[in-house]
Amino acid sequence: MISALWQITFRQWGTHRLRVAMTTLGIALGVAVYFAIRTANAALLDSLTVTVERLAGKSTLEVSAGETGFPEAALDTVRATPGVKLAEPVIEVIANTAFQDEGSLLILGVDTTGDQQLREYEFDRSQTQVADPLTYLAEANSILLSRSFAERHGLKIGDHFPLFTAHGKMSFAVEGIFKPTGVGEVFGGNIAVMDVYSAQVVFGRGHNFDRIDLVNAPGVSVNDLQKRLQQRLPAGLEVERPETKGQSLENAVTAMRLGMMITSFIALLVGVYIIFNSFTIAVNQRWKEIGILRAVGVERGNINAMFLVEAMVMGIVGSAVGVAAGYYLAIGASAAMGSIAASVYGIVSTEVAPKLHWDYALTAFGLGVAASIGGAWMPSRAASYLNPILALHNIEARQKESALGWGRALFGAALLALSVLLIEYSPSGVGLTFQLSYAALMLIGLTILLPMLVHWAARAVRPIMDMVGGSEGALAVDAMIQSPRRSAATVGALMVGLMSVYSTAAYIQSYKQMVSRWTTELLNSDIVVTSSTLLRSSSYHFSEDLGKKFETLPGVREVENVRFTLVPYEGDSAAIVSIEMPGFLKRSMNGIKGGDPQKLWTMMPRGEGVIASKNFAVRWRYKVGDRVHLDTPTGPLELPILGIVEDYRSDKGTIFMDRAVYKRYWNDDAVDFIDVELKPGQDPNVVKREVQSVTNGTEHALVYTKLEFKGWIDTLVDKFFMLNYMQLVVAVIVAVAGIANTLVISVAERHREFGIIRSIGGYRAQIRKMVLLEALSIAVVGVFVGAIAALFNTEFLSRTVSTVLAGYDVPFYFPWLLILETLPAVIAVSLLAGWIPARHAMQASVIEAIGYE
Amino acid sequence: MIQLRDVTKSYGAGEGVVALKNITLNIGPAERVAVMGPSGSGKSTLLNLVCGLDEPTTGSVKVEGVELAGLSDDARTRLRREKIGMIFQTFNLLSTLTALENVALPLRLQGLSKKEAESRGSAMLGHVGLKNRTEHRPDQLSGGERQRVAIARALIFRPPLLLGDEPTGNLDSHTGDEILRLLDDLQQEYQSTLLMVTHNVQAANFCSRVVTLHDGEIVSDVPCGSGSARVTT
Repeated sequence: MISALWQITFRQWGTHRLRVAMTTLGIALGVAVYFAIRTANAALLDSLTVTVERLAGKSTLEVSAGETGFPEAALDTVRATPGVKLAEPVIEVIANTAFQDEGSLLILGVDTTGDQQLREYEFDRSQTQVADPLTYLAEANSILLSRSFAERHGLKIGDHFPLFTAHGKMSFAVEGIFKPTGVGEVFGGNIAVMDVYSAQVVFGRGHNFDRIDLVNAPGVSVNDLQKRLQQRLPAGLEVERPETKGQSLENAVTAMRLGMMITSFIALLVGVYIIFNSFTIAVNQRWKEIGILRAVGVERGNINAMFLVEAMVMGIVGSAVGVAAGYYLAIGASAAMGSIAASVYGIVSTEVAPKLHWDYALTAFGLGVAASIGGAWMPSRAASYLNPILALHNIEARQKESALGWGRALFGAALLALSVLLIEYSPSGVGLTFQLSYAALMLIGLTILLPMLVHWAARAVRPIMDMVGGSEGALAVDAMIQSPRRSAATVGALMVGLMSVYSTAAYIQSYKQMVSRWTTELLNSDIVVTSSTLLRSSSYHFSEDLGKKFETLPGVREVENVRFTLVPYEGDSAAIVSIEMPGFLKRSMNGIKGGDPQKLWTMMPRGEGVIASKNFAVRWRYKVGDRVHLDTPTGPLELPILGIVEDYRSDKGTIFMDRAVYKRYWNDDAVDFIDVELKPGQDPNVVKREVQSVTNGTEHALVYTKLEFKGWIDTLVDKFFMLNYMQLVVAVIVAVAGIANTLVISVAERHREFGIIRSIGGYRAQIRKMVLLEALSIAVVGVFVGAIAALFNTEFLSRTVSTVLAGYDVPFYFPWLLILETLPAVIAVSLLAGWIPARHAMQASVIEAIGYE
Repeated sequence: MIQLRDVTKSYGAGEGVVALKNITLNIGPAERVAVMGPSGSGKSTLLNLVCGLDEPTTGSVKVEGVELAGLSDDARTRLRREKIGMIFQTFNLLSTLTALENVALPLRLQGLSKKEAESRGSAMLGHVGLKNRTEHRPDQLSGGERQRVAIARALIFRPPLLLGDEPTGNLDSHTGDEILRLLDDLQQEYQSTLLMVTHNVQAANFCSRVVTLHDGEIVSDVPCGSGSARVTT
């Protein structure tokens, strides 16, 4: 029997080649996006790991204190600890070159006498006779360059080139060139090495090191040595294996990787809708055949199996194509993710080509096949349960009834309501998996409700389409009303795509509004000078001298030096903003909530308390009055929280403290921002030019007026959401593929109807109009249900995702205007997708179409 | 009304299948002509050529003196809509539309407003005895009622030419008789020319002339009905 059913299936495929091809393509697209993103994610992590390994060299442990560095006296403690074979200090800086293309260079400050025992350097002997160029880095401006950087800029040994340092622009002498192996491979080969003590001076590190890389002595276990060092060093210093740093870099890009994974699941989900759609239509096309098969004795199970095996075969072919295409797609995706990691998170990585991970390929393949079978499950089951008599006479009424039943609708509504309740009222600490299930519940509920939503939306649209499109308009909408399952599947694909677009846009808009409020309340200096094109640089800073120069300018009333850095906190990290408090409080008091103003005014400038950002407080469940314990490089620091403030500069949460306290405990006087306040009546643009006259040519400094700074923050937010914009593009492409697929299938299904209309005097152009109007109706209904779905998903994003990823409570905002604005675009895209099917329909032979049964 | 001169229709390249061979046939206004013959004799091909859905390989087909081969696709479609009413064995109603919407469809395709098209459609449905079935969809109607809807749709423009392709072929004999009586009344009222392909002797006897085809050729063309010979099985 199975072989006979297979023969029927093959014949059907031959007859409906286009449907089979489009369905297989739908699955291939979903699998390709999923596999590509997973592979690219892995490539990014490989790249981070390689970077850490190259920079760590042979070291088995590292001592660090977040980004702030620690006093160099710790080196003596480490070297004196039994079990330490070798310990070398490191300063790591990403410095801006003063070349016209403004490229950056990773500079490793190392001890010139001992570092070769730790890291692999291979020097180019063709230009020098010096046996070990490291030992010749005697001068503060002596530097060794990687060959790739030197070649890119035409530099040879003995040449000089400019770099921006904490003391302005300096000229550096090239003392040696090393080959692109080992350390030379990192950061795309843009790497240089200099003496660690010179680096302290030129990059304003005082008497601090960023890191100590060490190797344990033979016979001493790494774990034992780690414990021993932890006991001897101050609590603010962390002793970790190098791979832990790789883990923390991975954590930094978690939000990006999670976002990409969500995108890939959306692509797969749309694939499921496409399969569901295709098989619903296949069952409709073959209802009579099913009736005959049932009448001649084919069991339900075999009918079901016939469709499911068909889905499985399509899934196998589509998934195989998807995995192959996904690998090549991963090359592009990997480059994009690396670029985002560098430009948004400021993370140094090493280019690593994506590897073919067989486990990912098998997972993608399995998911593709499972999605195909899952998508075909309900139509197959419906086919197997067809009453042969009904199947031979009338299928539509029965199907419509089951798709539009109130029981089903109530179940869908109940799931939706449950997801909303969970989003609104469940505690934030229940875990990511549980929280993501809210969205799953919401989507399942909406999917179950979809036929009814589509039915009612189409009925609402019908009079308008009838009025605007005439009989063709009414017929186009009727096609939707009479086939709620098929229409629901198409609209479902569109719904998922548009939901993703609208809710992401809503979330971004909401985030931007929140940030705008933040910049107004907190970042409201007349002029801001920053050291980086990102929100901050982890390694390149100004010295306090620069602020002193600004103070002498005629229009300047006051200057505040700001340090913004990450420090270890409770096994994770937290941001610290240290600032001269009196000026900060004067400008920002309105934004500080929940504290006693009197205490804030008196205690904060004296360094007797901190202000916590709301996401820090939410993350660690603090309130005003609780005490924050910080392990600093010089010892523990415990201060009470005196106020809570909305601040979005770090998803780890931010602690605000007086600059004097910070300098004392962290031994760090570096500056990341300089806030400049003007004298009354001064034109900000005029003073900005004065500030630029101080920095031009000597400092790598970006100078913004208040208005420009807000604009710059907006640009940074856009960069941060670059990935989400990519998500939108994927969602739109997949949704368009869904519409095109459905219209192709719909035209095939309505072959006879078009023939009848042509036979009673319908023009070819009227047939085309009908198909295009169906596309338009799908678009309009799709936008409607997409907006409803987005309403729920936006609530999910603003209440749950933002809290999970960053601890931000993003206010709910819904982009009504965007929905109205996108309607014409969605309609245009739908019409475009419907164009080829419409041409196909109008060119079909009438005699064949109405062929006698 | 209908003039076919030396019409040949063949399918496929080269020798192919010849469906009609050198057919010449003239049918005058208000004539009722039945076309009979075994399956594959070319009856349906003849009908397709007359309504302009197909084109002859050689020869000429004229309807109301208009050479169909000289018309564009749109002009042939317009002719089909305004001058020709078609009735099919399988009714060919659109399952998604009500009886009234099916009848009004040609008017709406012509560009009439919904209100006017449905007003005329409603009157026509009353004319075929389905005044109280206007809002029913095809699957809610009996076979005879469906064919009445199809007749109402075919006559909505009061076309001078009615083409029937086995109009009683899917109906029981009692209902078939009812449909033939209805066609008789309407044809007399509108004075349309009727060309009907049929296997049904009763239907043929309802016509004034019977043309018999065999292997694509006319083998007889005789008067029939009252005062003439009658077709027998």
